[in-house]
Amino acid sequence: MPNYTYRGITLSIPENDSEYKGYFEAAGEGRLVVKKCADCGLLRGEPGPACPWCTSINWEWQQVSGKGTIYSYQVVAHTVIPSFRDLTPFAIVLVELDEQRGEPTEFDGLRITGNLVDGDFNMEKEENVGIGKRVEAVFQPVEEGFMLPQWKLVDEPDQGFTWSHNVPES
Amino acid sequence: MAGNPRDKYCIVGVGETEYSRASGRTTRALGAEAIRNAMNDAGLTPDDVDGMLSYHGGDSTPSTSIQYDLGIRPNFYMDCSGGGSSTEALVGLAIGAIEAGMCDVVAIFRSMNGYSSVRIGGTGARASAPIGGLDLMKRPYGLISAVQQFSYTFTRHMAEYGVKSEDLAAIKVAHSNHASNNPKALMKHRVTVDDVMNSRWIIRPVAHLLDCCLETDNATCVIVTSAERAKDLKHKPIYIKGVQGRGTKPGGDFHYQHGPITRVAGHYVGPRVFDLAGVKHDDVDITGCYDAFTYTVLLQFEDYGWCEKGEGKDYVTSGIINLGGKRPNNLSGGHLCEGYTHGMNMVIENVRQLRGTVDDYCPGALEGDHTFDYAEGGCRQVQDAKISMNMGWGTPAVGSSLIMGNVLS
Repeated sequence: MPNYTYRGITLSIPENDSEYKGYFEAAGEGRLVVKKCADCGLLRGEPGPACPWCTSINWEWQQVSGKGTIYSYQVVAHTVIPSFRDLTPFAIVLVELDEQRGEPTEFDGLRITGNLVDGDFNMEKEENVGIGKRVEAVFQPVEEGFMLPQWKLVDEPDQGFTWSHNVPES
Repeated sequence: MAGNPRDKYCIVGVGETEYSRASGRTTRALGAEAIRNAMNDAGLTPDDVDGMLSYHGGDSTPSTSIQYDLGIRPNFYMDCSGGGSSTEALVGLAIGAIEAGMCDVVAIFRSMNGYSSVRIGGTGARASAPIGGLDLMKRPYGLISAVQQFSYTFTRHMAEYGVKSEDLAAIKVAHSNHASNNPKALMKHRVTVDDVMNSRWIIRPVAHLLDCCLETDNATCVIVTSAERAKDLKHKPIYIKGVQGRGTKPGGDFHYQHGPITRVAGHYVGPRVFDLAGVKHDDVDITGCYDAFTYTVLLQFEDYGWCEKGEGKDYVTSGIINLGGKRPNNLSGGHLCEGYTHGMNMVIENVRQLRGTVDDYCPGALEGDHTFDYAEGGCRQVQDAKISMNMGWGTPAVGSSLIMGNVLS
């Protein structure tokens, strides 16, 4: 994949990027994928080169449902990135996918970062972010062949532990 | 554990430059001054120092440049990549180098123009530099700065354990009180909980501006040698009782994939360093707990076992960590108030505390003549401190610890 530019930042994904190239190729087709160990069969949230559970270096991309729950989050009130300043405050969420939750140990999960956005890829309102909210992956067009995975709230009951902060009056 | 060097090695010299936001000179010049100050503090000459260790994030200067500047010829040196929690770990590596016979006296330094050049918070050229690799999963979403890298842990902890911004502010208040008695501190004025709460938000719900440390230009140095070599040096030797790290929690850079996400490296580092040092929590008189942000302090107090998990908010608001309290923390003001050093200044402070010669406003401070009046602009020497503990933080997943004392076990 060549370089892409998003909000003034050059994203470099060279041909030999054996971790992330396939992830963004799939995203460019509107698919969310994770790596699956070709030996023990476990999925991993971070597309690393080996299986954290059995050390196998054999893997394949596996498409997942793209549904998940917000596990933790941060609302950026002040950013050090100039091209993000017009977006503040905006939420960055850590989403735990529905697949393989609590496996292989109770605290494990497949957790992926993104912004919480609305249907038009604008940043979601701060008061709508919270731990336990249900979300699905959406794919924000950036350039031809490149889309950025993002997360959008879905109309489903909160799941598991729920919490949200008090939003200050602006 | 093979071989425990408890009390066999010492920190014999400490030194630093001014803490400022406009050093007006290179990291090489800063580094040379800090090492020179530490050598003078110890009563060592360049001929005595034959080991150098440093840590950096591409923002410092090599040992091999400063060796020329100060006329040092190392038999051993390494310039290591690393940020917070490197100080303590390099003290351990210095012991290893001496124990291996590679050298006898090691100067450990960190030099940075952390405000005027490579801003530690990420502002400036770093924010728009091309990215690849694992940053692809974070930077396009606006996730870049240190507090952001840690905030998934902070927010989830706040949610699960009911921590309030006011609890975190108490840490800043304590450290600012200590800094008000430190002529070197970059931020010397005392602040209140309201001051912290009313400072602008950086990352909700976990960090106001005053919950964040001070980006600082500075260099710092500590010198390690054997207890035998320390005997004829200038100061009372400060013994290294135990050192551990950099240790990690499962997952390393991707620790949030494994849980509990609210647990930090101290959970793993703590039991080992206490065991090595042969001390218990109650033996420790003063702590140095890495305060890149107020929340790093609270989390480490919990996972090093100063209180139960979830009770960090009670520990930091109890008065224990304040000067005059049972076990005061970051007596120089730490990163939040004295200046950000990637951990070294909190080790330096504990060495001075254990010597009894903290450089506060007492007229006879450097001779150990202290008033123990902790009012603003006065004393910050803790009476009869014998054992200190430093807890260095790299990320939620990375930490180191160092226990020192001024008497043999």
